[in-house]
Amino acid sequence: MANFDITDPLSFLKEQMMETLRLVTDPELYINIIDLGLVYGIDIDDSKKLVNVKMTLSSSYCPMGESIISAVKNCIEGHYAGYVASVDLVWDPVWSYDCITEEGKRLLGM
Amino acid sequence: MSSVKQNPGLYKIVVTHYVVAAFCFLILSVMMLFSVNAFTGHYFHPQILAITHLAALGWGTMIILGASYQLIPVVLETELYSEKLAWVSFGFFLPGLLELVYSFWVFVPGIHMQCGAVLLMLAVILFTLNVYLTGRKKKQQTIQEDFIFSACLCLCFTVALGTALVFNFTISIFAQDHLHFLKLHAHLGLIGWFLLMLIGVSSKLVPMFLVSSYQKTGLLTASYYLIVIALLLFLVDSYFWGLGFSTYVIFAIGAAGIFCYFMFILKCLRSRLRKHIDLPMLSSFLSFILLKIGILIVPFIVYFHLKNSPATVRFSMIYGEFMLLGWITALILGQTFKTLPFIVWVKRYEHLTGKFKTPMPADLYANNLLKAQTISFIIFCLAFMPGCYFVTMPLLYIGVAALMVTAILYITNVFVVLFHKTITYGKL
Repeated sequence: MANFDITDPLSFLKEQMMETLRLVTDPELYINIIDLGLVYGIDIDDSKKLVNVKMTLSSSYCPMGESIISAVKNCIEGHYAGYVASVDLVWDPVWSYDCITEEGKRLLGM
Repeated sequence: MSSVKQNPGLYKIVVTHYVVAAFCFLILSVMMLFSVNAFTGHYFHPQILAITHLAALGWGTMIILGASYQLIPVVLETELYSEKLAWVSFGFFLPGLLELVYSFWVFVPGIHMQCGAVLLMLAVILFTLNVYLTGRKKKQQTIQEDFIFSACLCLCFTVALGTALVFNFTISIFAQDHLHFLKLHAHLGLIGWFLLMLIGVSSKLVPMFLVSSYQKTGLLTASYYLIVIALLLFLVDSYFWGLGFSTYVIFAIGAAGIFCYFMFILKCLRSRLRKHIDLPMLSSFLSFILLKIGILIVPFIVYFHLKNSPATVRFSMIYGEFMLLGWITALILGQTFKTLPFIVWVKRYEHLTGKFKTPMPADLYANNLLKAQTISFIIFCLAFMPGCYFVTMPLLYIGVAALMVTAILYITNVFVVLFHKTITYGKL
């Protein structure tokens, strides 16, 4: 789960982008990627208007991986004009049940 | 960064296999309608041979080959070695299949049957080569890889033995009778090819679709070795000594392997994150029940064979039906609507995700058609299998009619998915 530094002048924008990413849904589970705990963090280079999303997938062989990555880029670029988004897929820490938020668990019927 | 890319070039080859397989399923059900009487006799009958080969190759294998081009890169976590090789393999497979099935149907074991067998042989060798070269790029070996490679090798041996049997009709190759090799050929195909391949692929896909937290592979490893050992023992034992009391022991080893696989599936089910199980997955679970019934018939076949009872023929017939038309068919009927909508969805919506509200993959097929298809398939199982065992013509006709309805509903739904028009529900 991403943490935000209040002293960081871009923390509000990062939080806003994080909320925007709730619009991206896992096509199989119908749960947004934030509540699934797939997004680990967002880096913004405001001078170059670059956004880098660090995220993972529920498994490295997830066949929808490319679609989710593409959706993340589309979502950021569509909502924040002028910004170019990139995604870094990371496998450390490995995604697990514990990454799902309480809301995500509720939506999954857990 | 690593993730398996959905290669758009694969779309055509995968979809072509799905469509051809769907037509084969429909043709298969029509052929069954014209050969209901044949199901009341011995399984070594021209029409039964034609139907069995259309079911095994045109339906089961065709869809597995198509799905493999999409799923093997996912399971092996690397890209497919060559699409061209896949097309060449398909180019040999389809005419080979048509020639073989037609030759069996009219039973002319001449040049057409032989050419068909040789073409199929070339096709499966090319497929195996493509899978091997795909897997070779991968560094880490997994149990799924062992299942898949072993299955491909078994497919080659099955077709090679089948080809030899085809030539044996006109040129005397084997000293023993044809039926002696037929059971080796059938089990290499059913257990070696279908079972190993379906376990290998499903052991990755079932946890993925259920979003299961169960990660251990011990049960799968045990399953692999037990099934492979049982298969090898069966081939050697059966070749040299035929069916005997040792067959029970071999059966027990193989059954233990399948039990390990079922335990793995059960653990995935229990630890699943997604509580709701959709209709395609339910159909897949129905296939596991049919597989269990099929396996439980085996000791009866051996028992009646050892007693020289004609009942062994009836049990062999329904065993084949439970495996091919029961287990494999149910699995395909369900998994088609897990895999095909994803393949089409990626093509239609990948570029729109994150920008617009879009349908989800499960919205691409007609759920009512799928419900009706599942019901008609269950009617088929409940009517045809008992009808075949008790040789009751009305039940056989009800069963075949239900299978035809299943095939029509299936093919319609496949086209509903394929001809889905891209729609969006406004901006996100």
